[in-house]
This record gives sequence, C-alpha cells and structure tokens, in this order.
Amino acid sequence: MASSICRLTTKTTTLKQNGMTHAPHPLCSTSEHQLSRRQLLGSAAAGAGTGGLGGLLQPAVAEELKRDDKQVIFVWLDGGMSQLESWDPKPNTQFGGPFRAIPTSLPGVHIGELMPHTAKVLHHTSIVRSVHTQDNSHSAGVGRINRGDPKNRGVVYPYLGSAVAKLMGPTASGLPPYCWVKPYSGGFKTADAGFLGAKYGALAFGDGKPPNNLLLNKQITAEENTARNELRAAFSERFSQGRSKDWTDANSYVFDVADTLMKRMDLFDESKVSEQDRDRYGRHALGRHMLMARRLIEAGVRFVKVNSYHWDSHGDNFNACQSLIPQFDRPFAALLEDLNERGMLDNVLVIAMSEFGRTPKINSHVGRDHWPEAWSVAMGGAGIKRGHVIGRTNELGTFVEDQEYDVGHLFHTWFRGLGVSEEMMEYDNDGQPLPVAHDDCFPIKELLA
Amino acid sequence: MKTLHTIRHSRQLWQARYSPCGEFLVACGYDATIQRWNVAGEEPVLLSPIEAHNGWVQGMCISPDGERVYSADSWGRLSCHELRTDNPQQLWTQETAHEGWIRALAISSDGKQLATGGNSGVVRLWNSSDGARTQELSHEHPVGALSFHPKGRVLATGDLKGIIREWNLDIATEDRQLDAGALYNDETKTKGRIQQCGGIRTMQFSADGQKLVCGGQKDPGGGFANGTPCVLVFDWKSGGLVREMPMGSTSDGFAYDVQFHPEGYIMATSSAFPGKGPVWFWRPEEMKAFFSDPKMANGRSLSLHPNGQRLAHLISDSRNGNGRPLKDGEYRGGEGVINILEFELP
Repeated sequence: MASSICRLTTKTTTLKQNGMTHAPHPLCSTSEHQLSRRQLLGSAAAGAGTGGLGGLLQPAVAEELKRDDKQVIFVWLDGGMSQLESWDPKPNTQFGGPFRAIPTSLPGVHIGELMPHTAKVLHHTSIVRSVHTQDNSHSAGVGRINRGDPKNRGVVYPYLGSAVAKLMGPTASGLPPYCWVKPYSGGFKTADAGFLGAKYGALAFGDGKPPNNLLLNKQITAEENTARNELRAAFSERFSQGRSKDWTDANSYVFDVADTLMKRMDLFDESKVSEQDRDRYGRHALGRHMLMARRLIEAGVRFVKVNSYHWDSHGDNFNACQSLIPQFDRPFAALLEDLNERGMLDNVLVIAMSEFGRTPKINSHVGRDHWPEAWSVAMGGAGIKRGHVIGRTNELGTFVEDQEYDVGHLFHTWFRGLGVSEEMMEYDNDGQPLPVAHDDCFPIKELLA
Repeated sequence: MKTLHTIRHSRQLWQARYSPCGEFLVACGYDATIQRWNVAGEEPVLLSPIEAHNGWVQGMCISPDGERVYSADSWGRLSCHELRTDNPQQLWTQETAHEGWIRALAISSDGKQLATGGNSGVVRLWNSSDGARTQELSHEHPVGALSFHPKGRVLATGDLKGIIREWNLDIATEDRQLDAGALYNDETKTKGRIQQCGGIRTMQFSADGQKLVCGGQKDPGGGFANGTPCVLVFDWKSGGLVREMPMGSTSDGFAYDVQFHPEGYIMATSSAFPGKGPVWFWRPEEMKAFFSDPKMANGRSLSLHPNGQRLAHLISDSRNGNGRPLKDGEYRGGEGVINILEFELP
C-alpha cells in the first residue's frame, strides 16, 4: 500500500466531541459536518412529536442531510430469496417454475410476477443479476456476505453497517449511525462490529420497539440523572485505566446513544404514521419494519438494516414465495417511491439481498436449495445508478454468462457510491493495515453515478 | 406391491392418471406438456405429447368417455384436447381462464362441467364441450383443490388456508364451510415465521358421495416445509371430521394425492424431506393404515387402473442439495418417475 494513502484508524483517531465519539467523515472536515451536540439534541427535541420528513428535523439539519450526507437502507432477507421467483425469472424453461415474468418500468426488463409493485418502480433501483459468491451454507455464508467476504487476515471483519458506521460516522442528526430493525429481540448487538470494536455494533430495535427501559424512570429528576451520569463517567474513566478502551468506549457510547434516542421516542410511535402509509407498506412485520427504516433514515440515521427471516425455502418453495415475496414487494416499492418523492434517493442507497440465491433445480420436496453460483442483488440510490440491469445469467438461470461479480465487488461499489474515496479504503487495526473490501475486487463502474 | 414397469420422464411431473378404459396413462407437470403412454400392451408405449401450455400444468382430468383430456396451467390457460388420436388436436382453449396459476381442475361425474380454481381466489365453471364459462364463485383465498359431488350439482372447494366450501351450483351460493385448519399454519402459530404454510392440496369425494377427503400437511412449517403428511376424512352429510390420517413424522412432507379405492379404503401418497414419504392405504373406520410402503418415496400422485389391481404411482426423482452438483459436467434437473405397481390386498 502506498504510503500516501490515508488510513482510517480503528482505535486511535476517533474524534471526541461533547462526550460523543465520531469517526471523521472521509470526505469532509469535521467543522462542516459535526454540529454541536446541543444543536443536535435541540434539533431532535424540536422534531419530537411531529410526523413526516419536514417535521422530524430542523431545516438546517435536514438541509445538511440532503446536501451530501449519504445514508443506507440495507434489507436482508435471511435464508435466501429465490432469484428465479424475483429479480431474474426464467419463465417456461426447465427450472423456471410456475410463475410468469412481468414487464417493469424499465423497457425490456421483466421480473417475477410476485413483485408487481416493485415492477412499477424498478427504474428507482438497479439489479445485478450476475452475482457469484463462494459459500453455500448459512452458517458461514451469512457472515461472509455481510462482511464482503474479504481475504482471511486473521481478524473478524465488520458487517457492512458497522463498516459504514466506522467509515462515515453518524450523520449531523447525532442519531446512532447503525440501527437494525428486526423481528425478535433488540438491544445493542456488538457482534457485527468485528475488529472495529463493540462501539460500532448495531443498535437493534426488536420488532421496531425501542430498547427496554430507554426512558428515564419518572421518579428520577433531571438533576439526579445528570449527577448519576457524571458518577458513571467517573467510574468508567477509572475502570478504563490500564484496560482496553474498546468496551468502556462502547459502554459510554451506548449511554450517549440512549440519551439521543430518549428525545426521539416519536420514532417508535406508529400512531405518528398515516394510515395510508401503513397500508402502503403493509401491516405485517416486514412492512412495518421497512416503514420504520424510512422514518429512521428521515430522522438522520446513517445506516439502517432491516432483517426478515425464514426465506430458506428448501421445501414447497413456490407457495413459500407466494406468501413471502409479496411481503417484500409492497414495502420495498413504497420505500423507493417515498425516497424518490422526497428527493432522498440521491443520498440514500437502498440494497436488498440475501446470503445467496436458490438452486435452479427444484428438489423432490418442491423446494429450491442454496445457490451461490448465480444470483441477484438489487441496489440503487446515493452514488449508485438507478434503472440499470448489470450482468446476465444463462438461459436456464444456472450460471453467470456475463459480468460475474462477487460480493467484494458490491462492497467496493457501495463504498464508492457512498463517497468513500479509494484513499480511505483501508483500516488501521492497531498497526495492521486491512483493506476495507476485498483487495482483488473493484467497483462496478457501470453502476457508479 | 410388485413393480411391473417404470416410466421415466425427463422433467418432474405433478399428476399421472389412467384413462377410464385403462388403455392410456396421461401425465402433466413442470414442462408444460401433457405426456401420454399407451399402456394396453406388454410395455408402455410413449405417444406424442400435447404441447399447449406454459409454466406448470398442475390441473388435469379426463372425460368419462376417455375421449378428451382437459388441462390447466400456471399461467391461467385452460385447454381441451383429443386424448386417443396419434396427433391430438386442440378442441378448445381459454387463454385466460384465470388470472395466474390454476392449481386445480375437476370434471363432473356426467362429464358436462369443469371446475377450475387457483391463485385468483375464484372458482369458475365451464361447459366441457365448448369451453364456455358458465359460473363464477368467489372463494376469497387461493384454491388448492376441488371436487364435484358424484350425485347432484354440488362442488367442494378447498383453499390454501384450510377452508372447505360447499357450493350449490343450481343457485351459485355457498352452503357451508368445513374446517380443515389442521392443514394450515400462519405467522400466529409458526414461531415468528412470516409465511402462510400448508393448505389443502388434494380433495376427493367417495363414489357414493358420503365422504370427502382432503390431503396436505398437518402442522405445516415454512422453510423446509416439514410437517406430517395427513389426510382428513369428513362425513359429508354432517360435515364432521371422522378421521385424521397422519402418516410419517413431523419432519416429512405433504399428502399430495388421495384416492378412494372402490372397496372403500383410502389410498394416499406423500412427499418428505429428504427422500421419504410413503404410499399408504387406510380404512376410514380403522385407527391405523393397513398398508404403507416408505420405499416409494417422494410421491406426487396415484391413479388406480380400472381393473382395481394396478396403481400408477408418480414420484419425483430430484435429489436435494446445496451448491453445484454436476454430473458429467452437466447441471441436471429432476425427473418424473411413474411406477406401475400391481398389488393384492393383504
């Protein structure tokens, strides 16, 4: 690596500002982006209790976000959505299955009939139909894909959300940079952060609900709370002496995040959302969670991951798809529509993917198994072009025929689209240089705006 | 059970049926064709296929006189062809009989009416002679199976949510509902899964019309779609469930086809994961099956020869597996296998 390249340090060059740590934005100076905490909390408090984009942020913060603060919504369909029933249908072929392909808003491009809403707004996203990855198991594949499958250098790489949190930090909103809306439990999930350290983990909202005990107990006064926090800070400082700062930093960070979130309880109040929006996204879990992702992005969260589980259709695949895919289709289309209408797609990258696709071969249980050989990922927004179809599988959908890309290429493309310059694409892990994305891969130029 | 013949087809199949005279065996499935074999001689003889469909052909039936085959596909087309001729001609077709997947097709005992149902959630009736639409019934949910009552203008339809509806065709009204909810699960029962699972996959009246059976999976789950293959037997007059016939373990598959033997017992076949799923025979008045053969795995359909002693048992031969298993450098799909079985009752 050339010595002129600026390395992002994982533990030493974080910025501390009013008690919150911020990684430096790779493109901009701190004075341009990092508003004072008082300003941030003031913005948040002012936004509390109002719905919609305009009411969530003070105009200055909203303008700041609009101008150049890139954000990400990452929809993870855990288990593996079938590309043949969604992004890359092969109707009337050996492995095509029962469903038809339907035309989309992109002339000449068809997707599966189970996605009629997305078909109408496909010009707001792009599809890479030639993804070829290396792992056909969930146990290893989920991690490898979420980490961009970098070369093994003896460390655990961060998931995409943690990497973005590290590389880009929080937005001007001051809200936690990496939020995760998911079924089941919430809490602060540190595992995603890998070697970056616990602080870059995900703040998870189980079923879209705030973390337990987020709000201050009503019997505790503001003065008591301040005193309490000062005492905690003192204890933390003493505890951290002679120890790794990873965990104490993370601990302090969680308290800071909680402090910010306490002023944004409106984000967890579904009654603030119009009935029309709730219908458009769907009242099911994935619909509610994708709607919440939109609201978190509007509020200024840097990276929102939305998880949906149980897409692993080894049996009865076509009925499973008929049940599952519409639950993705409707809110995904609504999300693209809303972001586009608000002018946010220029700055918000939306990605939808799984750990792999599903086998062309239909097994005896009418299911499709795991297939990393040739599958599809949808992406668009921020610096990623919309309305393009990249790569091609063969007539049967079995293998990639043109422009094969691994997830490492996707990571490079996403980081570039988010404005992470080539010079910033290396971590410094206590002196160990580590490429941010697979060093043999490169951005897909056709997708870069 | 003795296997007399094994017929292989290069694509997986959904259904294989004997013609009423027993001279022909007709099958349909994943390749949008209707396959025909003359099975009157020593060995089955493959005849020219009927190629008139798209997607999958999952609904098929033969006229009582054995002259015509009706078929319906997953893109919504319903067609009628000659069955017995060397180059069967299309007699009529309805290009858009339904919006999307037609999952079930049945013919009335007098052969005059057809009924179709599928993803559109409506049931349509057709004049079998010319394909004219005669009635439409709103079922609300996707229809997985239907069957005409052998006596009278009554139709039973079963959906993917485990609801059976009885229709009076004279006045086109729904008379009642029967509960086959044991064959359905949704997110309220499946531990966080967001999938609606199971439903009624096959349905049949007994010849005397006193019983209705429907097949599917008990306590179905998503993902691997594991559950217990199961047939429910209803007393048609009362609508009461008289027997639940689970077969296999909770990690098996679906009872995909169920038929009444003329002697009154029920024959069923089922899938499982991986590679299990028996054929079984069960008298409704008894607590257990009196015959099952787990070696005949991955069943899709069965059809009794008019002589009552031969069974065409269709299975899927398509091994599961992740990744890219190549054979001789080729990525192969599954096949349909029809075993012609000869049996005597124990």
